[in-house]
Amino acid sequence: MTAQPSSRWSLFLAAPSLGVVLIFVVLPYANILLMSVREPSTTAVYGDGFTLDNYLKILLDPFYLWLLWRTFKIALVTVMACIVLGYPVALHLARTPSRTRSMLYALVLSPLLTGVVVRCFGWLVLLANNGAVNMLLADLGLPRLRLVYNEFGVIVACVHVFLPMMILPVMNTIQSIDPRYEEAARTLGATPRQAFLRVLLPLSLPGVQSGAVLVFVLTASAYVIPALLGGGRVQTMPTIVVEQLLGTLLWPSGAAIAILLSIGIIVVLLLLLLPLRFAARGVA
Amino acid sequence: MRLSRFLAGTFLTFVYGFLLTPFVVVILTSLNAADYLSFPPQALSWRWYGAFFGSASFLTALWTSILVAALTAPLAALIGTPAAIYFVRHMRKYREAFRFAVLSPLILPEILTAIALLFLFNQTVGTYRSIGPLIVSHVVITLPFVFLTVSSALYNLPPNVEEAARTLGADARRTFVHVTFPLIKSGVVTGMLLSFIVSFDNVNLSLLLKPQGQTTLPILLMDNLRYNFDATTAAASVVSALLTLSIVLLIDRLYGLSAVRF
Repeated sequence: MTAQPSSRWSLFLAAPSLGVVLIFVVLPYANILLMSVREPSTTAVYGDGFTLDNYLKILLDPFYLWLLWRTFKIALVTVMACIVLGYPVALHLARTPSRTRSMLYALVLSPLLTGVVVRCFGWLVLLANNGAVNMLLADLGLPRLRLVYNEFGVIVACVHVFLPMMILPVMNTIQSIDPRYEEAARTLGATPRQAFLRVLLPLSLPGVQSGAVLVFVLTASAYVIPALLGGGRVQTMPTIVVEQLLGTLLWPSGAAIAILLSIGIIVVLLLLLLPLRFAARGVA
Repeated sequence: MRLSRFLAGTFLTFVYGFLLTPFVVVILTSLNAADYLSFPPQALSWRWYGAFFGSASFLTALWTSILVAALTAPLAALIGTPAAIYFVRHMRKYREAFRFAVLSPLILPEILTAIALLFLFNQTVGTYRSIGPLIVSHVVITLPFVFLTVSSALYNLPPNVEEAARTLGADARRTFVHVTFPLIKSGVVTGMLLSFIVSFDNVNLSLLLKPQGQTTLPILLMDNLRYNFDATTAAASVVSALLTLSIVLLIDRLYGLSAVRF
């Protein structure tokens, strides 16, 4: 569709949204950036001087480094589990005739449409120490397992909550791949396995990549899931930031943690994306 | 071949089951007749729903959530719709930058946005008792949804209908009121309903920005899950999930779920 010549008044259409983004996104983020280099104070929000101590204190503290590592470990395991569980489902949804498809599609979307607290509640009831799974194990005469209030429980819930974010982009990518490519490969003598591994899979990697980015960012910055399924015993960077802000009111140091987390997410994403890109090129 | 087919079928059933499991668990828990939370339930009853609708704190929180979502949705539509029209119809330069700016609340980690806004509000208005800052934060986070659904509706508009209206003598205002808006209404309404759901279910922003002494349903649920969870919490969860589900069905009934397309 052709854009009409932009007249001067048309800028008024963009003004409200730009104003909102400027005042309530750009300004607050600039503000925490500034706050993270101010001196902490007990009487005001922050002291007078500028300092990098807030960052140094965190970067030199093994506890925070370990927290950062744990946050990313949980996120990476979640991404891998989402790829393993999500890819077959995406392939199935993309290549299934439409009647059953819409029902299964609704099923995949359904977790997105209920709040994260409700979903965590379900997992708590199932995985708790006297929950359904452990009751079943006890009935079978097996020893009970610790399934919540540890990293395992957090990862299970993260995989469940963010799985649709993997399935949807992969499904969209596969749907946009012309089925004739596979047919051509088959005609030229490829087995179904070869046609999948050498044609469909490489072509669908961009979808896997966007899914992986989404799931990684969402998991690494998730607060509710580790707070509930971790039961206070699984601290991650987001839970420690919120705790610092609500509990101890150490704002400059909380701001520094938040910014280090964002920088960390970006760095890990770049490290994660480069090999994927090479893989896509290599296989193709 | 047959074996691999069977294995594939089993795997898919497992994943679809995995996606559904927590909902089934919450629903069964909410219908449990026992005094203490146990699973699976031995007998069924509606008693926890009675407890939910008899609880002042749950009802107040539910009301606050509905109020915030009902105020957020039209505000997001009012700001997001012109942005989408500007982006699709008028913008030539800096399109990617503009798109990125409007979608940024969706791209940035929500908990960080919440923290940043908390700082901003505390430094400017101090501690507050109104739900104003909470609504502002929800509008920020739902703006991208309206932008996406309205842009998508604009792209799907039959080409040239607006030009036809203009050629036939309608001015810009009449063209918008009688031609453009009726055709993109599906996008606006879908965006509003999505905004309602997103606001209604939000935890990160509500947790940090709720006014003192007030709480929303997801926050109250979360507090209960942390400290003393009983089956009333399950009933409350089901009620809130049913509310969002009915909005999804409403979207489907009005325009089809395919209208939710970005």
